Amino acid sequence: MEDSALEPLFVFIAYSVSTIQRSFNALPGSAVIVRYVKSSHQNDPFRTILEAILVIFAIRTLLQSRTRSDTTGRHFIKFTANEIDELVDEWSPEPLVPSLNEAELADLASVPVTVGPPGPKPKLQSTGKTAINLASYNFAGLSGNDKVKDRAVSVLRNYGLGSCGPPGFYGTNDIHLDLERDIANFLGTEAAIIYSQGFSTISSVIPAFSKRGDIVIADRGASRSLRSTVRWYDHNDLNSLEEVMQSVAKEIKTKRWRLTRRFIVTEGIFENDGAMSDLPKLVELGRKYKYRLILDESFSFGTVGRTGRGLTELYNVPANQIDLIVGSLANTLAGCGGFCAGSRIAVNHQRINGTSFVFSAAMPGMLAMAASEGIQILTSTPSILSNLHTNIFTLRSILDKIDCITIPSHPASAIIHIQLRDPIEPAGNGLPTTARAVSRRPSNPTSLVPRDLVVFDIGAEEKLLQEVVDEALAQGILITRARRLRGQEALEPRPSIKIAASAAVSKKDTEKAASILKGILTKVLGKK
Amino acid sequence: MTQPSSVFDDSDVADGTGLIIPLQPPSSAQVFHTVHSEFGHCDNQLQRHTSRHPLGVPLERTEEQDPPYYILITTYLSFVFFICLGHLRDFLGKRWNPELYSHLIPSDGYAAFSSDFDSFYTRRLKSRLDDCFSRPVTGVPGRTIILLDRVSPDYNATFHLTGKHIRGLNVSSYNYLGFAQTQGGCADAVETSIGRYGLSSMGGRMEGGTTDLHVQAEALVSRFVGHEDSIIGSMGFATNSTTIPALVGKGSLVISDEYNHASIRYGVRVSGAQVRMFKHNNMEDLENLLREVISQGQPKTHRPWKKILLVVEGLYSMEGTLVNLPAVVALKQKYKFYLYVDEAHSIGALGPHGRGVCDYFGVNPRSIDILMGTFTKSFGAAGGYIAGPKPLIAALRIRTHAGSYAEAMSPVVLTQVIASMGSIMGVADSPKHLEVSSSASTSTIQANGLRDGSEGRERLRRLAFNVRYLSRGLKKLGFITYGHEDSPVIPMLLFNPGKMLLFSRLMLEWKVPIVVVVVAYPATPLVTSRVRFCLSASHVKTDVDMLLRACDEIGDLLDLKHGHVKERWTVDKIIDNALQIAKDASFS
Repeated sequence: MEDSALEPLFVFIAYSVSTIQRSFNALPGSAVIVRYVKSSHQNDPFRTILEAILVIFAIRTLLQSRTRSDTTGRHFIKFTANEIDELVDEWSPEPLVPSLNEAELADLASVPVTVGPPGPKPKLQSTGKTAINLASYNFAGLSGNDKVKDRAVSVLRNYGLGSCGPPGFYGTNDIHLDLERDIANFLGTEAAIIYSQGFSTISSVIPAFSKRGDIVIADRGASRSLRSTVRWYDHNDLNSLEEVMQSVAKEIKTKRWRLTRRFIVTEGIFENDGAMSDLPKLVELGRKYKYRLILDESFSFGTVGRTGRGLTELYNVPANQIDLIVGSLANTLAGCGGFCAGSRIAVNHQRINGTSFVFSAAMPGMLAMAASEGIQILTSTPSILSNLHTNIFTLRSILDKIDCITIPSHPASAIIHIQLRDPIEPAGNGLPTTARAVSRRPSNPTSLVPRDLVVFDIGAEEKLLQEVVDEALAQGILITRARRLRGQEALEPRPSIKIAASAAVSKKDTEKAASILKGILTKVLGKK
Repeated sequence: MTQPSSVFDDSDVADGTGLIIPLQPPSSAQVFHTVHSEFGHCDNQLQRHTSRHPLGVPLERTEEQDPPYYILITTYLSFVFFICLGHLRDFLGKRWNPELYSHLIPSDGYAAFSSDFDSFYTRRLKSRLDDCFSRPVTGVPGRTIILLDRVSPDYNATFHLTGKHIRGLNVSSYNYLGFAQTQGGCADAVETSIGRYGLSSMGGRMEGGTTDLHVQAEALVSRFVGHEDSIIGSMGFATNSTTIPALVGKGSLVISDEYNHASIRYGVRVSGAQVRMFKHNNMEDLENLLREVISQGQPKTHRPWKKILLVVEGLYSMEGTLVNLPAVVALKQKYKFYLYVDEAHSIGALGPHGRGVCDYFGVNPRSIDILMGTFTKSFGAAGGYIAGPKPLIAALRIRTHAGSYAEAMSPVVLTQVIASMGSIMGVADSPKHLEVSSSASTSTIQANGLRDGSEGRERLRRLAFNVRYLSRGLKKLGFITYGHEDSPVIPMLLFNPGKMLLFSRLMLEWKVPIVVVVVAYPATPLVTSRVRFCLSASHVKTDVDMLLRACDEIGDLLDLKHGHVKERWTVDKIIDNALQIAKDASFS
């Protein structure tokens, strides 16, 4: 009875097996697989099992999604639903952001707000009066240029304002193409690419080229987050750079690293203190040790050199010797955004790999036009920059004579940082004061801490400097403290006052402002 | 009233396409203040709809239909084929034509500029499709757009402009409310602002770059989105990528939707927080993940997380899906995470008042900790904002990189934001401090339609109609589309990579040129290459009709109709029943 009951099942199984066999044999190439499995199994049954496991593992890896949960890990603890509920009830998160302390609130309250255009004499919201503007990055005085305004209106009436799309999807228009060509021609590089925010340019350029395993040597004064192997050299000290390069070369030899891309990352004029890099030496070192050079010219482009082409013009170094020049279009050129100029290959590479280029909307055409027009004006009217250089000279000749301050900025820099001459030592926070002693020992390139660590009390210094700023504002001069993200920078820069020279401010006003500032600085800082 | 003073004045071109001159000339009773090629003429009040989710009804998960197997197999095969061919070409090319590969080969002691493995996809697969990407344009990206015609003599290695212009229907730009205009109240306001402020703020927000316009715009934005305060940044990408690191760090966890935008991922990576992803818009998966991470705590140490931040987008621009906000907010109550909603695409484009997903679902915006959005899309400007409680925004002003180091937003862009956003809100009704007074700043909004908000409402209702009509129409034709039917982004599936190129070309060379965006891997999963239609309030019904006709024709040609629908309709039937299609509460 049982046999007959099961018989249809057996028939079915036998039929299915033979069908599967037949269809498998019908597949082209199936004979090869069968032969392969048979022969490998005869040689080494263990190998068949191993290969089967490999195949299963490969399939499993393929099927695993990136949203999988990690319930099998060694550290995983199993809970019952009730226990989880209890844990959920128990958990109380920290506040999303800690509330601001008094110093920070004061910081925020002291941000100047201008009413109307940021020209040479803007009106301030707090006082209702005008002030001489030594805060805006209006280096060449292009803000509010009438020719640019006229052209802006015609762009508005033909292109509208927004680009309404990323560059890859119909966001690129002929104004953008013209600007890219203008920048490349101006600097003398093969090509250039524009980004829609100056600040985001460098942080997109570096990761586009420097991948895992590559080596980046960066100046301690210029810190960004990177995934590559980073080494640091002392701020603006090229001997230190060479030492670091040698140590890397040694490391490569001893550890037998494969050949990877190597970069030097530094700024032309440093935003944090206005110091200037020695470009010819940098290029030479780069050549010698086979490093590519990424130079951030945000503050040197449009301010130094006869027509504002930046460090390359000042030092007479052909721009094609620098692999990537990054700059801002928002400062001197009074547009917005940033650019990266270099070889055609380097630029095209960013069109697909520069995250903030690909995933961000193209900049408004009107602002791209402003930058193009700015370049045009700089090239055709060199007198603009000679005015700027005269004003910088005027400022420096007065400020340099003050005893109680230090100016770390280069004499040609359009941003002038003023620091306290003697750092205020923090009161009893346990930091060794010996750190200030000058040692000749080279610094540790894997750490951001410089060789001669200067210890200073940020809060006290900032408070004093803010007093100077407030007093200056009361006397009709708009300057600001260099604002920094305290606690978020890898290396805290010294507090400073940042003065931006401008060609738009007359020589007389510049002189007047500098003298008033001198008085205030001596009064406020001299008394301590 | 229209003054096409444009250099792109191609009114001498024999039209008949309806792109420049309406197919039906306006009657004497109709007065339009817009340029038809930028913002279509339409005063048919029946062709309007309101974008709103019925209160209390749970959001249905949008189904993602699968294509027949042969489509999947041919898609995979074409990728396999191109990958093999690409490697073969690399192999032979490096030996026979090394100078073409110089940037991929180490030379003179320098490592290769980019690794051939990293750039393989770009060189060997994407370059075949380059014809559809990065097409340069000119003029305003409004209802129509002008392409600069280009040719490639060397298989897409370089492109040369021919000097010819092609005007096409624009279903590609993120111009949801049609504010990309050269005429009209917003453009007039911007012109005034150019004269008064110039083009740049010349500095960072903390260092003298703040003008009264910044203060005014931030007050307006916070009112618009319904939060206490807001901060404006000059770039949308940077708004995400610099704010997230200021919120979370080591010891915190970010829970992120798997399809979140690159800027969010970048921000999370920089922040140093742990990150876990959940299946796209899947609330069960999210809850399971939440239960797991809260009960387990930090990896290895099992210490409780300092805080958990959930980052979702309001509208996913590649998928067209809306976040299930009511469910997320309910989870938030229970699991106490902080909620960050990126409204880059949804702000201005969704909801009866255009105020984004909160408005659409009727959720109180204050129940969300951080609302982020951009001005690039609906408002025809640039940059982004973060809105939230006052102390939080104050902290962000001081603690984000973009706040301290990046340039402040240009005054003209701010004016566009104020004018366009104000026109949706109707600033005439708003309290006095928002009144755009002529003494302190520009007399920003002059046109009456902008002041009382009637023009903004009209735009919202036009967009809502167009979107539903196209989305449901495509389904009825038999196409596979993804996403929610009220989403202004409508992805339509093409699958085979070769069809992307063909579809994009055929649409452009159709009897009325239509400009479309095709997207593929890595922006989408490998097999689901798609075309993405972005509709706008500037489109009129005849534009959508035309688009449906083109899709119908080309869809048949390329074998794209694989969707399951109760009953397929012909394109004529769909066009005749447009009102019913767009307005029925549930239509299938």
